[in-house]
Amino acid sequence: MTAVLPTSAGRELSNPPSDGISNLRFSNHSDNLLVSSWDRTVRLYEASANVLRGEFMHAGAVLDCCFHDDSSGFSACVDNTVRRLVFSTGKEDILGRHDAPVRCVEYSYAAGQVITGSWDKTLKCWDPRGASGQERTLVGTYPQPERVYSLSLVGNRLVVATAGRHVNVYDLRNMSQPEQKRESSLKYQTRCVRCYPNGTGFALSSVEGRVAMEFFDLSEAGQAKKYAFKCHRKSEAGRDTVYPVNAIAFHPVYGTFATGGCDGYVNVWDGNNKKRLYQYTKYPTSIAALSFSRDGRLLAVASSYTFEEGDKPHEPDAIYVRSVNEVEVKPKPKVYPAPPP
Amino acid sequence: MIWDEVGESEAERDKMLLELERECLEVYRRKVDQANRCRAQLRQAIADNEAELATICSAMGERPVHIRQSDQNSGRLKEELAAIIPQLEEMRKRKCDRRNQFLEVLEQIQRISNEICKSTDYNSSKIVVDETDLSMRKFEELHRQLHALQKEKSDRLKQVLDHLSTLNSLCLVLGMDFKQTINEVHPSLNDSEGTKNISDDTIERMDSAIQKLLEVKIKRMRRLQDLATTMLELWNLMDTPIGEQQIFQNVTCKIAASEQEITEPNILSEEFINYVEEEVSKLEDLKASKMKELVLKKRSEMEEICRRTHMVAEIDNGMEYAIEAIESGAVDPACILEQIELQIAKVKEEAFSRKEILEKVEKWLAACEEESWLEEYNRDENRYNAGRGAHLTLKRAEKARAVVNKLPAMIDALGTKVRTWERERGIEFLYDGVRLLSMLEEYNILRQEKEQERKRQRDQKKLQGQLIAEQEALFGSKPSPSKPQSGKKGPRMSIGGANGRRLSLGGAMLQTPKPDLPHPAKLTPHLRPSKKGGLLSHHQDDSCVALSAGRRGLDIAGLPVKKHSFNAANSHEIESPMTRKPFSPLSAAMLPKVNPNFLEDLNKVQGGTMQKTLPNSNTPLATPSKLACVTDEDNRTPKEKMPIPMPTTPSTISVSMQTATTPAPAIATVLFGANKIEDNRTPKEKMPIPVPTTPSTISVPMQTATTPAPAIATVLFGADKIEEMHEEVEYSFEERRAGFVIPKTHVISVVQV
Repeated sequence: MTAVLPTSAGRELSNPPSDGISNLRFSNHSDNLLVSSWDRTVRLYEASANVLRGEFMHAGAVLDCCFHDDSSGFSACVDNTVRRLVFSTGKEDILGRHDAPVRCVEYSYAAGQVITGSWDKTLKCWDPRGASGQERTLVGTYPQPERVYSLSLVGNRLVVATAGRHVNVYDLRNMSQPEQKRESSLKYQTRCVRCYPNGTGFALSSVEGRVAMEFFDLSEAGQAKKYAFKCHRKSEAGRDTVYPVNAIAFHPVYGTFATGGCDGYVNVWDGNNKKRLYQYTKYPTSIAALSFSRDGRLLAVASSYTFEEGDKPHEPDAIYVRSVNEVEVKPKPKVYPAPPP
Repeated sequence: MIWDEVGESEAERDKMLLELERECLEVYRRKVDQANRCRAQLRQAIADNEAELATICSAMGERPVHIRQSDQNSGRLKEELAAIIPQLEEMRKRKCDRRNQFLEVLEQIQRISNEICKSTDYNSSKIVVDETDLSMRKFEELHRQLHALQKEKSDRLKQVLDHLSTLNSLCLVLGMDFKQTINEVHPSLNDSEGTKNISDDTIERMDSAIQKLLEVKIKRMRRLQDLATTMLELWNLMDTPIGEQQIFQNVTCKIAASEQEITEPNILSEEFINYVEEEVSKLEDLKASKMKELVLKKRSEMEEICRRTHMVAEIDNGMEYAIEAIESGAVDPACILEQIELQIAKVKEEAFSRKEILEKVEKWLAACEEESWLEEYNRDENRYNAGRGAHLTLKRAEKARAVVNKLPAMIDALGTKVRTWERERGIEFLYDGVRLLSMLEEYNILRQEKEQERKRQRDQKKLQGQLIAEQEALFGSKPSPSKPQSGKKGPRMSIGGANGRRLSLGGAMLQTPKPDLPHPAKLTPHLRPSKKGGLLSHHQDDSCVALSAGRRGLDIAGLPVKKHSFNAANSHEIESPMTRKPFSPLSAAMLPKVNPNFLEDLNKVQGGTMQKTLPNSNTPLATPSKLACVTDEDNRTPKEKMPIPMPTTPSTISVSMQTATTPAPAIATVLFGANKIEDNRTPKEKMPIPVPTTPSTISVPMQTATTPAPAIATVLFGADKIEEMHEEVEYSFEERRAGFVIPKTHVISVVQV
């Protein structure tokens, strides 16, 4: 299968998950890569060395995972549990439970809490330092208007995207109610939401090949800056095919971002200048997840069928780690010097 | 005798005699020896003298005067000695003289050497004349040495004086105490009369002192020049009055001077530099306080340029931010100022490139104004009444007509110009934030529209004329041509500013069906040609134009728009014109409400064109039924129902359309159809969007339109159903894959609601 793709796709990791990849993330401290999958595992790779460092078996498919630090992480499982994984010992324990499958998990360094979103229409915050046992680790439960589909954190801001195109913005310091309640400016189901690294807003992608760039600032001037653009579409013989945008990943240095769609393409965009910077060669199947390494030199791409057309035969799931060229992600100088964001 | 007397014996006598003889001989011998010794002594003395003489001569490097003659006249030793002694005396005297000379010269040499390099090579004890070599040659040699030394001394003296003068000038420029400086080098340099120390050491120290001072001078000069540059910049920036600048004229004029050129006393003194520095810091302070003002000034300058060239200033947000930042001190104002200046330069450059086109635009706008005036004027039925100034308006109308005739050519030329400009630059030509090309296109569309309108009016007039003629035949009266009607419509068609034009275009679009209404009799004849191509093609045209105008943004939206206009036309065919009549007036009122929902693309540039095309596509849809609007509002899910969402399965839509005549079962089929779509979705299409409910919701109100009374119930019911269905429909891929289903209770509650 490696022969199918030219080397420009990046290095393919050996020992990939055997079923759909739900998410992957680089560590904030090293080039370790945490991968969750429908094959009920969470795997820890050392991306630079292409080594599988650890594997955790769960009771059900794993829908999301994140790092705590380099020695431990968290996973969101379809069996309603939130688990903590300790890499050094290979042990895991249950941090708590939702009433429905847990869709996403994030760890906030600012609050020292694990935040999980579930299809039970709630958001829960956990204190991983608390002794084992749900009573003591659970910090709070916050009802959401719909099933939570995607979460993103920046600083003390938390953006929650749910079914029904709701978007709630929270301040982690006051979770009692959303700081802002919004409706997605896209007309279709939200696939992914990611905050800008500079903390001024968030990007939101939908199933209908579109990405909206939104801003936290509620003033008229602030809102005037928001916009949406189309991507991951194909026009063939007058017929347009629109693909869901599954993944958004911001470059930690330049603030540009990559999107991955069911068309198998990864595009890199410059949000400030509204320009596409780069398109990588097509991957064998849908892009399920993307992650830049901490310094932005590596981009992990999960090429894995995301079940958008039901159960059907598809390409094997694969993880590619490509080294990122500066040209691909650096914003091109604008005609006018960019006003400070 | 005696002996006879004595009677000495003979033997005694003989013995006596022998003794006598022997003694005599002895005396003789002794005398001879003495003489011999004397002679030998003499000879020795002569030889000694001669030897001495020879040594002296050789030492003095002279030929010995006395050649030895002693061999010839050996008998006159005394004479010889007497001759040689005076010679020797003289020689000795000369030698002594010579030695004194040597000593003198050597002493001088030593003195000079001592002066030149103190304490080194020569020391006084060493002043010994080599007795063996006192020749003239040596003497001359010494003299040469002396001369060389003397020359060196004078050279050094000159050098020292040079150095001194250099030092003096440097000290003067630097504002330092000269005396103190040289005292530090060597105290002897200070007294102008006394001899100056000229030793190597001193010169070296002077050299280094000069070097040091030079360095200081260059350093200070740099500093001064830097300060001068800053000062000039600040002056420039703040328009400092000449009077204040004059004070520092001597500084600023040295801004480009080299090190040698700066000779003015005290110009580089510590105090002076400090003084200048103070001034600069004063200016800096002033600048900081004025910076905000400056930034604002620059900004307004830029805005002015933008306004003049009808460009949209991009800086606003950034600028507010920047000013805030300045106030909070977070950003260096100079940096922002620089940025703004850069922007201004860019804007100016762009403005220059736009100039030509802008001129043309001005002309075009002026022409448009004339055109609208002309229209107004033409509508005025009393225009030929001779009033005051009637001849002037007549003239103006004439001119206006000529201008209007030139308009299409003008637009063409402008269009090509703009296109080349856009191609060259790769950016869109924006006029007050609106793309000029789209403005032109809008205008063209409007023109066509008007053209048609005019034609229609002409037809109508003809008909009216007929009617009147008939009436006349019947009643014999002749009413004046109806003025109010045209007057009502007129202003909407006219062209205002850029914004007004955009709106009026939408207005015109909405208005077009309206004139038909008061004349139901006309409707059918008019509709018929439209079916064949008039109206239909018109809509198509519009959407095509929109398509090209929107280009990037609209490729998707444009397509369904086209399809819908087809569908709408179909539904026109199915429904009789009678049914449309009661609802149609609402359409216009409803549209503005619907419009915002269509604003699907937030992109500002495209926003304008979107707004334009969408109502267009919407017109046919909205006209058939009031219910569509009602249900929209009731269900409060207008967005999901908008017709844009991808009619990827147009076949299903058309099916529901055909069933439209039988409303009751229609809903069932539609919903079923929707389900079907849901079920069949994956195998059938590549489109993985689970929102195919949208077309069905639209079709529902359409069908129910024919039977208004029960329709509401069914539609609401249908809406509920849809809502419920919607709940079920919206699952993410993951939920679907995980087989996740929302608990039943929830669905029920929704239905109950």
